[in-house]
Amino acid sequence: MAKRNSVGKALPPVLKIESVSKSFGGIKALGGVSFEIPSGGIHALIGPNGAGKTTLLNLVTGAFSADSGRIVFGGSELRGMKAHERVAIGIARTFQNIEMFGSMNVLDNVLVGRHVKTRCGFLGAMARFPGIAREEKQARARALELLDFMGILDAAYWRSCDLPFGWQRFLEIARALATGPKILLLDEPASGLNAVETAKLAVLLRRIRHSGISLLLIEHDMNLVMDIADRILVLNHGVAIAEGTPREIQANESVICAYLGRDLVGA
Amino acid sequence: MRYLIIIAAATAAGFGLSSPYLLQLITFIGINTLLALGLNMLMGYAGQISLGHAAFFGLGAYTTGVLTVHYHWSPWAALAAAIILTVIVAFLIALPLLQLSGFYLGMGTLGFGMIANVVFRQWSALTGGDSGLVGIPSLDLGPVSLSSSRNYLLLVWAVVTLFIFLCERLIDSRIGRALKAVHDSERAASSMGIDTGRLKVQIFVLSALMAAIAGFLYAHFVSFISPGTFDFIFSVRLVTMVVIGGMASIWGSLLGAAVLTLLPEALGFFAQYEMIVYGLVLIVIMIVLPQGLFRGIQDIYGQTKFSGQSPSAGSKD
Amino acid sequence: MQEFVQYLFSGVTNGAVYAVIALGFSMLYSSTRLINFAQGEFVMIGALSVISFWKGLKLPLPLAFAGAVGVAALAGLLLDRLAIRKVKKPHPIVLVIITVGASILLRGVAMIVWGKDAHGSPSFSDSPPFEFLGATLLPQSLWILFITLMVVAGLHIFHRKSLTGRAMVACAISKKAAAIVGIPTERMVQLAFAMSAAMGGIGGVLIAPISMSSYDVGMNLGLKGFCAAMIGGLGSSWGAILGGLLLGILEALGVGFLSSGLKDAVAFVLLLLILYFRPSGILGKAAVERF
Repeated sequence: MAKRNSVGKALPPVLKIESVSKSFGGIKALGGVSFEIPSGGIHALIGPNGAGKTTLLNLVTGAFSADSGRIVFGGSELRGMKAHERVAIGIARTFQNIEMFGSMNVLDNVLVGRHVKTRCGFLGAMARFPGIAREEKQARARALELLDFMGILDAAYWRSCDLPFGWQRFLEIARALATGPKILLLDEPASGLNAVETAKLAVLLRRIRHSGISLLLIEHDMNLVMDIADRILVLNHGVAIAEGTPREIQANESVICAYLGRDLVGA
Repeated sequence: MRYLIIIAAATAAGFGLSSPYLLQLITFIGINTLLALGLNMLMGYAGQISLGHAAFFGLGAYTTGVLTVHYHWSPWAALAAAIILTVIVAFLIALPLLQLSGFYLGMGTLGFGMIANVVFRQWSALTGGDSGLVGIPSLDLGPVSLSSSRNYLLLVWAVVTLFIFLCERLIDSRIGRALKAVHDSERAASSMGIDTGRLKVQIFVLSALMAAIAGFLYAHFVSFISPGTFDFIFSVRLVTMVVIGGMASIWGSLLGAAVLTLLPEALGFFAQYEMIVYGLVLIVIMIVLPQGLFRGIQDIYGQTKFSGQSPSAGSKD
Repeated sequence: MQEFVQYLFSGVTNGAVYAVIALGFSMLYSSTRLINFAQGEFVMIGALSVISFWKGLKLPLPLAFAGAVGVAALAGLLLDRLAIRKVKKPHPIVLVIITVGASILLRGVAMIVWGKDAHGSPSFSDSPPFEFLGATLLPQSLWILFITLMVVAGLHIFHRKSLTGRAMVACAISKKAAAIVGIPTERMVQLAFAMSAAMGGIGGVLIAPISMSSYDVGMNLGLKGFCAAMIGGLGSSWGAILGGLLLGILEALGVGFLSSGLKDAVAFVLLLLILYFRPSGILGKAAVERF
């Protein structure tokens, strides 16, 4: 089900996971998982705890390498590419436990995200060539734009640790967006958010998708997932047990079993 | 703006004071400030540690000493050589070490500092061994002789001012933000696309470079150097300077340097209790005020501005 | 060949002392994940204390030995309670600076108490050196080896057989799990500090007769002990012993065949090499923390 561009030509999937396996010591976290994320879609990764969702995310972002299998992003294989290099080619992520840059204010946190889109080095910083000043101005403008987009512009000069929790999550997303990604990987973005904030999150995620960025989110909040996801992949014990639209997943027997533990026979 | 204050103060001291002792003292404060500033960039901003920075100080001093005394190089050429050599050595040390965690980095830099000290002591053909190196010439800038205490004071403080200026610019830039990010959370910094390994090496090299320049200035000031100056105690002293001044901004380095240069002079009996004082200072500050190293060194002034501010108001200057 | 054997003997002798110091590092690391930069000072305290008790106060040797080790253990305990325990944010850099501060503090105190002079100590027994395999062997070397073996055996029994010992091992493996089953983890940490400091003290007592002791010998010995622990693998007791002996022998060979001035450099260079190429050490399986 590939998306099509304006002249009807099928767009290649932005992310392809092919038979990826990963073990830690004796524990097999992932065993031969495969799926594709089409360009410009929202893909959700769900499953019980320990299913391997975060491991999969970490493989894509480069925290460690897969034991076997391929991960292909925008046509090139990612194996061997360091984590920070992947950000430069368009893979951004947020963390389950928010890691703010506590010593900086909100705006500067987002500006860190602009790191890969700017070039000022040691010499440039000390000499302040005119190009540098311009680059800095543009980066600031973009950062403020993103804060506005996430609805937390008012807090731009607050210390990041002073933000209420919900706003910290939005800051994290703004920061990740600042890297100019093609795909944004979100690890439980709704965790800790109340109903109002979750609704706002859904709106924001749709707007991000609308701007052309693909999304892959790990989530436990089923309402959110069923609401915004185009396709859902269900993992259990490191293996993909179902993939499809929210409708299809909700009716899928093995998914129900995985979550509720009911015996397949006689369900 | 604030630089004018330093320049003014230094000039006033230089021309106003006539006691060679005081002039010398203020010059030493300057040299120590340069050292502390470099180490502050590494420890305070990037969140790393070096327990062997005396080695780079010594490397700068001995390189210029050896080249000017044994090979009769011009001091300024020797400076260039000292810088190049230090950059290479710092690079080689940092590359493997900075991948390790805090403890190992501490031990590694400690070990390196020890090795450097052994080299200074043992390579007597070049360094004069334990007896030291004598006869290091004074400097001159073209026609202007810098051998007088006053002129040397002005030189040192000109260099210090320059580096404070450059460091402030560095902190308030993309690189500065990246450094603070690495300090706050290396994992998150990496997820923002920052090559944390490379950045840490770069800042280590910068801080080593500044120590080497301080060494150069020191050597040509005192004209006699010996290995005893560049030992572990000195490295600890530098760390103490950074820790004391850590709470304020870059200017904290000046504070720390001033305190630890003046204290031994002010307290005659200090020499006996020097180590006890350093030890206690380090322990107490780490227990009571570790945020000096954690809060990313905000200007005390700036920080109070923040916390007093109501969240909905305000813009940054 | 005869020279070689001589170097071997002196290497093993020193190596045994390094092994004991290394055991101190390893033990503390296992229990607390902390590397104590002040470990060397406990060695110094042990050495100078035994000299004061034995030569100075004329106490009988066993009492002086125990007293010296006790002083070192006490210092370790104080370090834990007064400094380490009070830290709110145990960031590695903070802990490094604190233990470095403690190291300097102890050194400063030692300078006041014992002055700047170097002090010597007589051997534990009066017998003269004797011939063995064509080389001279000091009776002190035998004492050192014997006591080191006792220490290692004692630790082994303690960790395997005694309840407290096994509790410590449990804490080392997982503090949370140990706490859940009712082990007083704070007390275990205190014990680990006291014991590792005692190890240092024992090392100091052993080395006092064969080298001059002064207030500033701690840093060198501590670093060498750490190096030995790293060579063998931090956290591994056998690694500490292996590393200590290896370091001692390499050092002796270096002194013999290269130059005595470079003796100290051997350990430091080895340390850097280990940190560069194999931070987990020869025996260590524990992955080195990256950040």
